[in-house]
Amino acid sequence: MIDDESTIAALRLAAGRDPVPAHVVISARRAHALRAPGAVVAERVGAAAPGGVRLGCGPRLLRFAAAGLAVDVEIVTSDGLVDLAGQVTPNPGAGSRVEIRTLHVNQTRELSESGQFAAAGLPPGWFSIVCHRSAGPPIATSWARIRA
Amino acid sequence: MSAPDPWPPHRDILTDPDAPALPPATPSEPSTAPAVLVREAADGDHSAWCLLVERFGPAMWATARSYGLSGADADDAVQAAWLRLVESLHAIRDPRGIGGWLVTTTRRETLRLARERRDVQPSHEPADLIPDPACEDAATAVLDADRGNRLWLAVESMEEPCRTLLRLIATAPESGTHQLAVRLGMPRGSVGPTRGRCLRRLRTLVSAEETLH
Repeated sequence: MIDDESTIAALRLAAGRDPVPAHVVISARRAHALRAPGAVVAERVGAAAPGGVRLGCGPRLLRFAAAGLAVDVEIVTSDGLVDLAGQVTPNPGAGSRVEIRTLHVNQTRELSESGQFAAAGLPPGWFSIVCHRSAGPPIATSWARIRA
Repeated sequence: MSAPDPWPPHRDILTDPDAPALPPATPSEPSTAPAVLVREAADGDHSAWCLLVERFGPAMWATARSYGLSGADADDAVQAAWLRLVESLHAIRDPRGIGGWLVTTTRRETLRLARERRDVQPSHEPADLIPDPACEDAATAVLDADRGNRLWLAVESMEEPCRTLLRLIATAPESGTHQLAVRLGMPRGSVGPTRGRCLRRLRTLVSAEETLH
């Protein structure tokens, strides 16, 4: 055992008094469908604003980058739902689209000429954006969490 | 005439001479090894993925809850760990250590959430926790029911206040320092140091006992 918390975890697990809730098991099973085989993972990098920091009531800005491509996402939450507006730079070319994935819904958007996309009314929680390019493997942003 | 009982009485297959024999080992048995499940899940086999969830989900949940996270936050931390696995399913270098990887990743996500919430003081920074497939975590080790029983037998063999304190923090994680102090009849300032001392003592007892097995 490595530390206090893992000892407590072991005690809790062995006591069997706090089983995994059914909805947690269902989400875990559902995650498998969110594989993006062959995709290059774009990790979070410093954005125009500090990545992941909530700017009061204003938008939250995240930047992901891989393979010479950046995905910037602006997140606004209102009434418990999430609106996303994003841009892929440079625009990967005609016919490219993005898939906005959550554990509950997936939405696909064609990129505008300037590489922009938007989606509204998403549930809070974990999301990832996959950019399907006309040439080259898809780029998948690492999973990030949006709080309501 | 009554309908046949759909749930016949449980028979202990090890001691009951009339109980049906254990099925013979089949060639498909090795497919339950975690490393094989990881490979099958990476190739799109959903049932293999569900077996991973069934096998390691409880240790991940217990890990997130051991830091005192609420149910909703523990849910987020566990989800995060599964999503990290989805992301790196094809890149896991040593799938034999997948249990330790999942538990360590859950800890990292738990600490990240705890830091965001600022209502739990993490004892490590997330950066300190690099998933190490070679390191067997306590929570995955205890998946073996026998080791779980030995852990609790060790608790029961301890003197007060350790016995009661460990029972409380393991079964009622929402108990705050104040409640623990009242239940144990000790000053609030003594709860933290006593907790640390009791957990260290428990680890010593268990490791001493394990060397005998």
